[in-house]
Amino acid sequence: MDALCKTIRAEILNVANKSGHGHIPTSFSIVEMLCAVYQTMRHDPKCPDDPERDIFVLSKGHASLGFYCALAGQGYFDFKDVEAFGAFDSRFGCHPDRTKVPGVEASTGSLGHGIGLAVGMALAARINGTSRRVYTLIGDGESNEGTVWEAIMVAANLKLDNFTVLYDNNNSQARCLPIPNPRERFAAFGCDAIEVDGHDLTALKRALAKPTDRPKVLVCNTVKGYGCKTLSDNVYEWHRRAPKADELNKLLGELDARTV
Amino acid sequence: MRAQFKNTVTELAATDDKLVVVLGDISVYMFNDFSQKFPARFFNMGICENTLISVTAGLSSAGLHPFVHTICPFITDRSIEQIKLDMCYNNFGGNIVTCGATFDYAWDGATHHAYTDLASLRMLPGMEVLHLGSKREVDALIRSQYKNPKPTYYRLSDHPHAFETNLAFGKGTVFKNEGAPVTVMTAGPILTNVMEACRDLPVNLVYFHTIKPIDRALIEQFRDTEILVVHDAYGLYEAISEVPMLRMRYHGLPDAFCGWYGTVHDIRKRIGLDAAGIRAAVQALIEDRSQAA
Repeated sequence: MDALCKTIRAEILNVANKSGHGHIPTSFSIVEMLCAVYQTMRHDPKCPDDPERDIFVLSKGHASLGFYCALAGQGYFDFKDVEAFGAFDSRFGCHPDRTKVPGVEASTGSLGHGIGLAVGMALAARINGTSRRVYTLIGDGESNEGTVWEAIMVAANLKLDNFTVLYDNNNSQARCLPIPNPRERFAAFGCDAIEVDGHDLTALKRALAKPTDRPKVLVCNTVKGYGCKTLSDNVYEWHRRAPKADELNKLLGELDARTV
Repeated sequence: MRAQFKNTVTELAATDDKLVVVLGDISVYMFNDFSQKFPARFFNMGICENTLISVTAGLSSAGLHPFVHTICPFITDRSIEQIKLDMCYNNFGGNIVTCGATFDYAWDGATHHAYTDLASLRMLPGMEVLHLGSKREVDALIRSQYKNPKPTYYRLSDHPHAFETNLAFGKGTVFKNEGAPVTVMTAGPILTNVMEACRDLPVNLVYFHTIKPIDRALIEQFRDTEILVVHDAYGLYEAISEVPMLRMRYHGLPDAFCGWYGTVHDIRKRIGLDAAGIRAAVQALIEDRSQAA
């Protein structure tokens, strides 16, 4: 595991322990995706409003803890700041608010909204004649929402080649409404769909860099709770749980041992 | 009013390269000249109202001045969460312009009737809500509001009134002030029927095109009268109720679907919103008051 990705996961666990809040497994599944995007897109943590920056929108807003820690890992703020996660008057809500947290481009939480906003942002970049790129990360559970597919249809019809979707294929809907063959589905909707190991930083960056003339969708195969066997083996139990002190030590130990 | 909307935004777009039009496959033919003059800023995006709002919010986030337009119930009732979150909560502005007000599509049945839009949108923080009644109002209020950073809702109708009104945003118009003990308050195109109904009755008559923010100062001037709100939608009564301790009644929609087809005039007559029905309601209130006195 990449050192930064491991640090981010450890901080996710620490913050969840201190705050008592956390969607840990879903936050763990997106760490490499976030790092791959932020290590390749144009952005400056010292100038988060840079008008020439690329844009990332976390559409599955309930993974905010992973997002905040990834932003801290990029230098937008300190990991320590995130310990106020979910507290009264904190900047760091359990769903991200763009007016409170530097680096957050859209306030999300209700599923199926961020991707449509991101389509509008990508279209705006085209209208404004800029080379800005727009990335959005959506969940497979989120993709039960019809608005995800509306947005994909619109993006494909407009041939938004500056628009990239990262689809977190972490099997979250196995007990409900699974989406089989997502790569084929996105391709059938007119996207340049690429299947990739969502925990392979190098493969993710390679897929992000691939030129295309259409919206690009990275179907990122991931594991909920990746890095800690206790989490990945018990995703429903840990869906929205924070570890107590003894559990924290166990999970940090598993992370050190790189168990999955 | 739709043609006026198109004419106004086409004229504005000539000097504002940030103005963008997004259609939900409605009024497309009407916008032909806009699409030919400004093809890079015209999008007939699809019949996907939720996404139309989300995309509009995204366009606004980058400093553009988007207009999104389609049929009223589909982009207001269906997309209320997108308006609430993507526009209002995110502080991304934009202009929502609808056609098919209340019973404009009477013949299409209750699926195409729209009367909750003003009431529900006025509850959203930061939203501006306009029930425009005339072509002059369409032109003036689009020009004054479209660039501001707030989400703004413009409700258009195929049956405008022809009266001169105060065209300032947030301001009402006093058509009659006779010092009468009863004041009729109304909004939007139904003004035509209200004016005919009240022409020779001893009442004050006040009109609004802006539902949010409501002209509270004007309402205060009539606080000592009994107010009869005559409106073919929900929202005006609730807005006037922001002023505390008023004596108010409502004459308008029944708590029922009005699925009788025909024209807007047929349905208005059935539910007492034609001039005769409104006149009867106003006279009944006047008689109630005189009996109470």
